Amino acid sequence: MSAAGPPLSYEAASARVEEIIKRLDSGEASLGETLELVKEGKTLIEYCAGELESVSGALEELRLDELVARLERESEGA
Amino acid sequence: MEGAYAGLVPSSSDAGSVVGTAALAATAAVAATADPGETSARGIPGSELPGPYEVGDYAAALRGKLRSFAQVQLTGELVNLRESRARVYFELRDGRGAMPCAVWLKDWEAIRARAGTAPAEGTQVVAAGGCDFYPGSATSSPGFSFAVSDLRVAGEGDLLARIERLRRKLAAEGLLEPQKLLARPLIPRSIGIVTGEGGKAREDVLAALARRGWAGRVVWGFAPVQDRHAAPLIGRALQDLAAVGEVDVAIVTRGGGSLADLLCFCDESLCRTVALLALPVIASVGHHTDRTLLDDVAAVSCSTPTHAAEAAVRLDCGRARGELAVAAARMRAQSRRAVIGRARSLGLLSRAPASHLERQRALLHQRLREMRAGSRRRARDEGERTKVRALVLERKASSALLDCRVRRPRELERLALALAGHDPQRTLERGYALVQTPQGAPIGSGAAARTAGRVRVRFADETVAAEIEARR
Repeated sequence: MSAAGPPLSYEAASARVEEIIKRLDSGEASLGETLELVKEGKTLIEYCAGELESVSGALEELRLDELVARLERESEGA
Repeated sequence: MEGAYAGLVPSSSDAGSVVGTAALAATAAVAATADPGETSARGIPGSELPGPYEVGDYAAALRGKLRSFAQVQLTGELVNLRESRARVYFELRDGRGAMPCAVWLKDWEAIRARAGTAPAEGTQVVAAGGCDFYPGSATSSPGFSFAVSDLRVAGEGDLLARIERLRRKLAAEGLLEPQKLLARPLIPRSIGIVTGEGGKAREDVLAALARRGWAGRVVWGFAPVQDRHAAPLIGRALQDLAAVGEVDVAIVTRGGGSLADLLCFCDESLCRTVALLALPVIASVGHHTDRTLLDDVAAVSCSTPTHAAEAAVRLDCGRARGELAVAAARMRAQSRRAVIGRARSLGLLSRAPASHLERQRALLHQRLREMRAGSRRRARDEGERTKVRALVLERKASSALLDCRVRRPRELERLALALAGHDPQRTLERGYALVQTPQGAPIGSGAAARTAGRVRVRFADETVAAEIEARR
């Protein structure tokens, strides 16, 4: 994980990526800072990609009544 | 004889006020037809009650009695509407009671013609008429009804005023706020949707989700979304969605409808249920003009199912994927540029002509000698490293001289490939070193190094301190 700790949300992560890219684009970052920023950015991008990945497959449709019935069966069985 | 009517007269005092004295007086008119003397059956031994009377007579007397009740106007919700060949039947209901009603088809048509549309199920109405009783026959059942002669739909003003009172009540209790304070994830993984199973809203929501590039899990809580009796079912569906867990956000949606159709979304207990739910609810049940109480209580209120889907998935996932790829590419490009900028000077060495290498080698040897003249310990450490560097350079120089046509281009290609898409760290791992100030800032020139005096040389495995000789 990056020095900033685990990202809490997609919003926060993507905002930070924007920030990092802006800083890198400015060309003002030293080599050392660049290395740190790139490392942090990579982690954040991986996190965001994972979040998007989770809603990238095929749409899964469930029926609430069936779900409730299943849960009730399970709780009875337990 | 008086006893025959005692059972027909409503005994409770509140009914008496409706019936009135005129109704009581009218009972005398049917007295003659209910003469127990004309019946052949004998009564129950020991019973002090009059009779037995013929049931047909009694039923007719009851009809007369009920018809004599004062004509009045009633107001309530119209439910259970059904038409027969001659009459239209329905019930009027409110929180405390109900009344079966019947209208002659002819009158119903007149009511419909005047209103422009037939009063619909669930509508709040005012009905004028009076009590009636169908006495039945040997082959048909009797039935009580309130015979409606005229009817009007209660004005929207009446309804709106009632809804407004309830809205103020909920607001005063702070129930319009809790939903708005719930956190909603930008990309929910699971969305619960409460809507009519056959409705168009269902397709609209799915289409909007697809346009968002979202393909997570949808949990359908099908419930009627029309009349007021739908409210408890909608409330239960939402509670179930909250209870099964893993649902990040819920949508309650339907197409448009008249205000009367939307009454179920103004139900007080439904609104209270939603207000206190831990699951954020997006309401999309009314229009801009017909705002329901659910719209006020919900976390978000939308005017169409499409908007509701967009409010549930606030991020355009398809676009976000593209933007993320661009961000990743830009990050790689910046990383590469930063490394290549520094690596270019190193790379130049491998491409340099032999004379340049010779000069470098001479310089290194000279430095080696200079370092030997310095402190024993420092000289030994530095010397070792310099020797290694010289060795590397010598090797490179000889390989460059060996075949500068074939191997060099290939080497460069490999170098470019290796640099592309790799960390700066990799460069260090390949044997390069980075010269930094003690504070960590990179040093890019000999002049800067001399100015700094003390430097840190960063290798892949660790960073060592070094001191630069003042002399060239």
